[in-house]
Amino acid sequence: MQFEETLKRIQTHKGVIGTIVVNAEGKTTLDNSTTVQYAGLLHQLTMKARSTVRDIDPQNDLTFLRIRSKKHEIMVAPDKEYLLIVIQNPSE
Amino acid sequence: MFTDETLDALGVESLWRKSQQFAQESRGCQTRPVHTAEAEIQPLLNADNGTQTDPQDHHIYQLPPKGELQPESPGLRDFLHRVEDMVVKELASNAKSHAFDGFDVNWEDQNETVSCIHCLQYPSAQEKGLQVTSISWSCTGSVIACAFGRVDDGDWSTEKSCVCTWNLDRRGLNPKRPDMVIDVARPVMSLSFHPSQPSLIAGGLYSGEVVVWDTNRTQDLILAQTGMSTDTHREPVYQVAWVPGPRRGEMVVLSAGSGGRVLLWTVDSDEGRLVLSAGFALIRQQVPHNSALSKNRGSSNVGVTSLALSPWDLDTFLVGSESGLVLKCSFSAQTLAAAPPDGESVTLRAPAQFSFSPRGGPVHSLHCSPFHRNLFVSVGTDGLAHLHSLLQPDPLLSLRVSDSYVFGVRWSPTRPLLFAAATGQGLVQIFDLGRKSLRPAATLDQLTGGQPVYCLEFNPRRKDLLAVGNSDGSVNIWHLSTELTEQGPRETAKLEQLANEVAE
Repeated sequence: MQFEETLKRIQTHKGVIGTIVVNAEGKTTLDNSTTVQYAGLLHQLTMKARSTVRDIDPQNDLTFLRIRSKKHEIMVAPDKEYLLIVIQNPSE
Repeated sequence: MFTDETLDALGVESLWRKSQQFAQESRGCQTRPVHTAEAEIQPLLNADNGTQTDPQDHHIYQLPPKGELQPESPGLRDFLHRVEDMVVKELASNAKSHAFDGFDVNWEDQNETVSCIHCLQYPSAQEKGLQVTSISWSCTGSVIACAFGRVDDGDWSTEKSCVCTWNLDRRGLNPKRPDMVIDVARPVMSLSFHPSQPSLIAGGLYSGEVVVWDTNRTQDLILAQTGMSTDTHREPVYQVAWVPGPRRGEMVVLSAGSGGRVLLWTVDSDEGRLVLSAGFALIRQQVPHNSALSKNRGSSNVGVTSLALSPWDLDTFLVGSESGLVLKCSFSAQTLAAAPPDGESVTLRAPAQFSFSPRGGPVHSLHCSPFHRNLFVSVGTDGLAHLHSLLQPDPLLSLRVSDSYVFGVRWSPTRPLLFAAATGQGLVQIFDLGRKSLRPAATLDQLTGGQPVYCLEFNPRRKDLLAVGNSDGSVNIWHLSTELTEQGPRETAKLEQLANEVAE
């Protein structure tokens, strides 16, 4: 119950056009092809970003990743086992 | 003294040769008798069973069971708890943020100018005074084919014409010498490259025939043609297009002519024939009326001068007629056409479903927007470009393109708000709907001395090339500036806004 509510709170936020939860093996909450593509690519990017941060300073670690593109903004909240990806269309 | 004497014969036995009869042995064998037995079985009980899937509930907030991650996955709940606050905070601040307003990144070299990079001509066609009636880019974007014919002749023409192709990516491109010239016995009115096979071109002729050429062949380039049979058009074919056929991966040729017929042909390359597979007839009496429609004059056929396929809905197509009608039609219409059967091999159906507000003269070109499923633009001899929504009969916007006729219009494949129109004064006007003013964003002068421009096509692969066909028999390839090809922020949203406006 709480799981769905949490996800719903995020999904109904202003401008959000998609949310995906990915686990460490790349499995997602919704298995359509776009989602799987997003999940795979962002998982790799997050790992690379994390290793970049830790290579610069081994005491540091990645907390959040934001990618701003012409059309929207992708936010990734990383964790040991999971990734939460939220795609938002910023203010019009 | 001498007497006869007979002596016995003397025999000497062979020491080494023996009779071969001695060494012979016979053996025989036989299996033991085989046991056989018969038995029968029959089930005493019967049972029938069936299965069927249930329709999926499309509730966006419900996690579908076919996903791999379930709420019971270990640690998922805790993970979401941990990150929820941070994510919501970021989402909220992002929604209000002005940090990136007006921030644009230059990834590629900006091209400020629009220039004509090639002017392709075929001198022998120009000498005959032929005009470029139709152009088409191949699916790879490197070959352009142009059809020569006449648009201004009123009567039956038996002039020989040709189809020329140039490969723009080839080194040593000679603008005055086409890579390939296909001679055709009649003027060609329309041309269309196959969407996935770069060597097939379909063409519609003035005599009503439809031909498919295969540029890979060395000898006879005609792969299939309709010939003059009872199935073919009796009037010039103004549009040909490739549409997906009934089987996957198969494409059929669609042809539309001023005889009011829209026909679908399958390619039978073994026999070299195009076989009629389906047909539609547009009859004036069967056109759905919407208030003022002109009185019934002339023939009851609605002559088709332009056709547009919708990239969003494979079943819909739009038809523009000689009398100014713009109709929305469907491939799956079932009503039979009220045309008297003329010996065609398939029954003709009436496809028109909806009629948009009529124009003052023939509708020369229609194009559906590749960025919005309901928008399309139409131009005709009244010099206006009408932006329509499929949902209502009146246009959303009416732009004055030129004082004379407008022969062609195409949406830009990269910018949702941009479209280009070819005028009868030799200019191509490019309009940007995102601008406040209704004046063209750019004007390309074809330098033909004011002679009309009949057709234009954007390159499907290279987004900055635009090909324009002129009535003096030349084709100009224009290289557009970055402003005209790069999509700006929020263009899709503005287009959506435009589409949702209701006309008064």
